[in-house]
Amino acid sequence: MRVSRTNRLAVLLTLVLAVPACAAPGRPVDLATVKSVERPRPVGARENPTPKSTEVKPVPACDATASLPPLDPMPTPGEMPAGSTMREIQDAGKLIAGVDQNTFLFGFRNPTTNALEGFDIDRVREIARAIFGDPNRVQFKVVTSLGRVPALENGDVHVVVRTFTATCDRWQDINFSAIYYVAGQRLLVDRASKVTRLDQLGGEKVCAAEGSTSIKTLLDHPADPVPVQVPNWTDCLVMLQQGQVAAVSTDDTILAGMVAQDPNVRMVGPRFTEEPYGIGIPKEDEDMVRFVNGVLEQSVAEGDWADSYDRWLGRTGERRPDPPPLRYRD
Amino acid sequence: MVTVPPPERLAPARRSLLVMPATAMRHARRSATSSPGRLFVIGVALVMLALVTGVVGALAVQEKQDAIDNLIEHREPVAAASQQIYRSLSDADATAASAFLSGGTPPAALRERYELDIAQAGANLAQAAADVAEVPEAQRQVDQLAQQLPVYTGLVETARAYNRQGFPAGAAYLREASGLMRAKLLPAAEELYSIDFRRLADEQAHARAFPWGSTALVLVLLAALVATQLYLTRRTNRLLNIGLVVASGSVVVGLVWGSVALVLESVRIADGHDTGTRQVELAVQARIVALTMRANETLTLVARGDGGVYEEDWKELAPKIGGDGEENLLVRARGLAADAETTAVLDAARQNAADWLALHGRVRELDDGGSYENAIALAVGDGPDGAAAVFTELDANLLRAINNGRTQFVEETTSARAALTGLVPGIAVLSLLAAVGVTMGIRERLREYR
Repeated sequence: MRVSRTNRLAVLLTLVLAVPACAAPGRPVDLATVKSVERPRPVGARENPTPKSTEVKPVPACDATASLPPLDPMPTPGEMPAGSTMREIQDAGKLIAGVDQNTFLFGFRNPTTNALEGFDIDRVREIARAIFGDPNRVQFKVVTSLGRVPALENGDVHVVVRTFTATCDRWQDINFSAIYYVAGQRLLVDRASKVTRLDQLGGEKVCAAEGSTSIKTLLDHPADPVPVQVPNWTDCLVMLQQGQVAAVSTDDTILAGMVAQDPNVRMVGPRFTEEPYGIGIPKEDEDMVRFVNGVLEQSVAEGDWADSYDRWLGRTGERRPDPPPLRYRD
Repeated sequence: MVTVPPPERLAPARRSLLVMPATAMRHARRSATSSPGRLFVIGVALVMLALVTGVVGALAVQEKQDAIDNLIEHREPVAAASQQIYRSLSDADATAASAFLSGGTPPAALRERYELDIAQAGANLAQAAADVAEVPEAQRQVDQLAQQLPVYTGLVETARAYNRQGFPAGAAYLREASGLMRAKLLPAAEELYSIDFRRLADEQAHARAFPWGSTALVLVLLAALVATQLYLTRRTNRLLNIGLVVASGSVVVGLVWGSVALVLESVRIADGHDTGTRQVELAVQARIVALTMRANETLTLVARGDGGVYEEDWKELAPKIGGDGEENLLVRARGLAADAETTAVLDAARQNAADWLALHGRVRELDDGGSYENAIALAVGDGPDGAAAVFTELDANLLRAINNGRTQFVEETTSARAALTGLVPGIAVLSLLAAVGVTMGIRERLREYR
């Protein structure tokens, strides 16, 4: 009896132990495999923004590069004529200028000194010097490419000096000074890239700043590149360095600033647009437009323009062009 | 227990192990028809019920103790660690922006602070990661944090290198880093911390829930004992059976002891939740709000006139740490403060917050009025009256309030556990006593039939 009970127990035990052994063989626990990584992007970067050109509003033909004739004679600094816009600015004690702090060589914040510097910033200081006799009586307000026209329309700033292309479209809402520099859109690619023309970039991502003339050119280009828009020009350099875009396309001057920051990128191909830079001024302040044009005349005549060019754009290694002729409407 | 029939009937049952339970049942049914047989069955059932009740009750109390230990040793520290992750990351972001604003080579103090923040975030992330295995939602947040934190620090170091060369690409990298922080890291940290606080609150609720099941079982046992006593009294005309009286007595003792201990425990866990956890949570929220506002303050200055969104964000958050409104988290936390010290710390924090809000107004005035350099000096400069110093003090006071709340939690919860001391062995002994009492009492009656 004792034996049989032990036997039964043994059988039971064998069964109990054998059952799990029949189950499927164990598999190692899955590793935490990551197959793709989402790259960080500049804040506000957007792919394929809706083409602006579809909402075509007819723009009357105009000569965008011709401004109002300069004041003659120019008032003495610190003695602006009563009732003028310049007088208001003089009484307020400072010139409020909309500028960029992210575009190397034109308007950028020097991280060592915290001061804003560049070719555009020099233009602002010339205007301040002409009003106050002191180039430092300026309050800088950073505006994005997109925010330039609204800042002038809302009266937030007295002038906008920010690689601002004079176009007939923009002339409808604001005034431009005479043209103080002519840039042209080109292409910036990695040194290793074989691309030389925008035609080769069909379906590829190309970066430009929101609200710029460059992004419009990309949107309308027949090769159909994929425009990626960012709030600031240097964001394009970041995206190019991170391999998130195939190229950056904008004014050669802005691209030159990127080359100066990173010798591993280069500008390629010819200029395919012409971008005349003017100083933006509110529509109603025509006296200010004439005053600023007078300041530009003086700057060119006295060699300040050339000094400023050498200081900032001279480091790109290209020969200094003659200042663009200041043109006026009769 | 079921298989203990009277001794003289055991022999046939031995024939087969497998038929034994059936045989026992048959015997039990047959014997229940006779008086001594019925008495025997009642006795066995009562002994079983007493023992089962003892086991169930002891297990329930043991489970409560384990839940409390888990609160103190895991849940609360993990919740604290995950709020620390948020705090460290947010502070790192604000510090990186301040260092950028100060221009040139950033001050050593800011560099150190940033490094500490990142190290702190990493260490606390490791602690939080050890605990998310069974919560997929928390696991996702930890994954996100662990994947993106190295990317963030990489971007910040790239920004630093470009800044040293004097190129604006540094600012662009810093903007990208800050964007990553605000879009991915901080939301993940916030989600993780709210998950962890929710888990803490859930387990606190679980630890203080009254064990109705076990209590019902005890009441059933008591009723059965009383009914048996009544049955015996009717049958034998003897008023009391000593064994059953002892059994009933020990069940009553167990019931009263258990109820008092559990109610005490529940009250203390609740205190630990209200004056501890809840207060910590409010202080943590206040700290997060303050950090976000500080980051907004510096980013507005970094944007230099283009920072309207940051300032709007700042204004929206301001009532949460300033003013006397119901919205003010500091006021609400103060209402829950357990002791004078915490009250004082929170009052100091309110004062800091008020000072800082006033300073911020001054910073905006300077910046909007064109005195950018002065605005920066006031906002991130190291003067004792600057916004940076006042903010640091506010953060330190909030940390003190959080630590006080944590201590309060541990004290209350530990005392909750103390209320249960000895209850498990107590229940075991009492249920054994009840079983022995029943056995003695029934055997005495059975003997009378011989």
